[in-house]
Amino acid sequence: MTLMRVKNKNIDYHVIVGLLYREIQTRFGSKQFGYFWGIFDAMLMIIIFAGLKKIVSSNSMLHLDFTVFLAVGFLSFFLWKNIVNKSLTAFSANKALFLYQRVRPYHTLLTRLFLEVLISISTIFIFLFIGWFFGFDLSIDNFLFTILSLGWLIVFGFSIGFLSSILSELYEIYAKVMNILLSPLLFISAIMYSVESLPPKLQEVILYNPLVHFMELIHGFYFKSLNTNHVDFEYIFYWTVVPLILGLYLYRKHEERIISS
Amino acid sequence: MIILKNVTKYFKTKKTYKYILNNVNICIPSEKNIGILGPNGAGKSTLLRMLGQIDFPNKGKIESNCTFSWPMGLGNGFQGSMTGRENVKFVCRIYGLKNKQLKKAISFVEDFAEIGDYFNMPIKLYSSGMKSRLSFGLSLFFDFDYMIIDETLSVGDQRFQKKSKDMLRDKIKKSKAILVSHSMDTLREICDVGIYINNGDITYFDNIEEAIQCYQKNV
Repeated sequence: MTLMRVKNKNIDYHVIVGLLYREIQTRFGSKQFGYFWGIFDAMLMIIIFAGLKKIVSSNSMLHLDFTVFLAVGFLSFFLWKNIVNKSLTAFSANKALFLYQRVRPYHTLLTRLFLEVLISISTIFIFLFIGWFFGFDLSIDNFLFTILSLGWLIVFGFSIGFLSSILSELYEIYAKVMNILLSPLLFISAIMYSVESLPPKLQEVILYNPLVHFMELIHGFYFKSLNTNHVDFEYIFYWTVVPLILGLYLYRKHEERIISS
Repeated sequence: MIILKNVTKYFKTKKTYKYILNNVNICIPSEKNIGILGPNGAGKSTLLRMLGQIDFPNKGKIESNCTFSWPMGLGNGFQGSMTGRENVKFVCRIYGLKNKQLKKAISFVEDFAEIGDYFNMPIKLYSSGMKSRLSFGLSLFFDFDYMIIDETLSVGDQRFQKKSKDMLRDKIKKSKAILVSHSMDTLREICDVGIYINNGDITYFDNIEEAIQCYQKNV
């Protein structure tokens, strides 16, 4: 009765495909309107802040549509934050599956990264459609560099998420601390304002936050009237590479512990 | 062939180390069905997990280029909120099955497990016996070099037990089994060689009968 000879070929591919199906099923299948909530989150934020801005002040950024500015910021920010958040629990949520020898912890991380990126791309397309439908000015100043910046932001998210996934496995308190650190980021990451519009003293402080550089980068390339003068490329390069290397080192060291715990 | 080189495995408690294996060197030849015996708590299940490469020695190495099934009967790799069918699909996918093969595998497992409507219900509603049926049926579909089985043969009613044993007997013509059992009859029937594990030491026997005698002398 030879039914299916088990081969050790393309394991990574098969495992990630299997996990992807499973992840989609658990994420969207069991909850009603699962797909809807992913989009609703960002939508609500944009409507609230665009509305507030209308009420509170007149145009401080004359040459661009503030709603589009918000949309670009929020979508980028949520993409980053979701990658980090999902990575934090990637191992613990899939622990039962390490029973299958070929499922290894890094598979679950990569699966979640792919899925987050896929969801974000579809969300962006839906927003583009809505924006186009309501006649917003969606023109992009430098398309290629906007996409590249977004790509870099994804790598940055992965690098922080990768390191976090291992640390949260090693130290129970890490995930809690990380959640506390992540929550104010929405307001201190130059999503609803540009660095240029802040007083110089505040600029200096806020530029320690690497996400501010990424937001400036993406905003600067997207809008003609904004620039990337405040972006310190070296600074965000280190923020991307150092956690990644540290993560790889810790992963090699602790992979067996993560599988067997 | 499975080679254990200077393998040490222990569990740390607050004060002491509890040794499962203490600097063990053995070599298990290919093409043999292996029975593992030992008193409760000696580390039989841990040894199975290590052979299946989902647990690892603290020191030393286990070398083999064979494929191993997941250990059946030790917990289960199922997601509670998903149905039996969806879980079966997942396992088939990670082992590279697609389309026709996937359908064939699902109907095979459905037929074998005989759990009726439960197959389309979430796993969290299953009894442990039902989970084992599913897990065992699933592993029968694949040809691993080694099937790792932990007491699963005692699942279900007598008719199901007989069916499982018949399937396994058929299966081990191609695959080999690594079996933990407290039933000497099952061990005699399925296994060729034996491993006796106790107090951090393991002894390899060329003949399962000798292993059984050693086990019975010590219990």
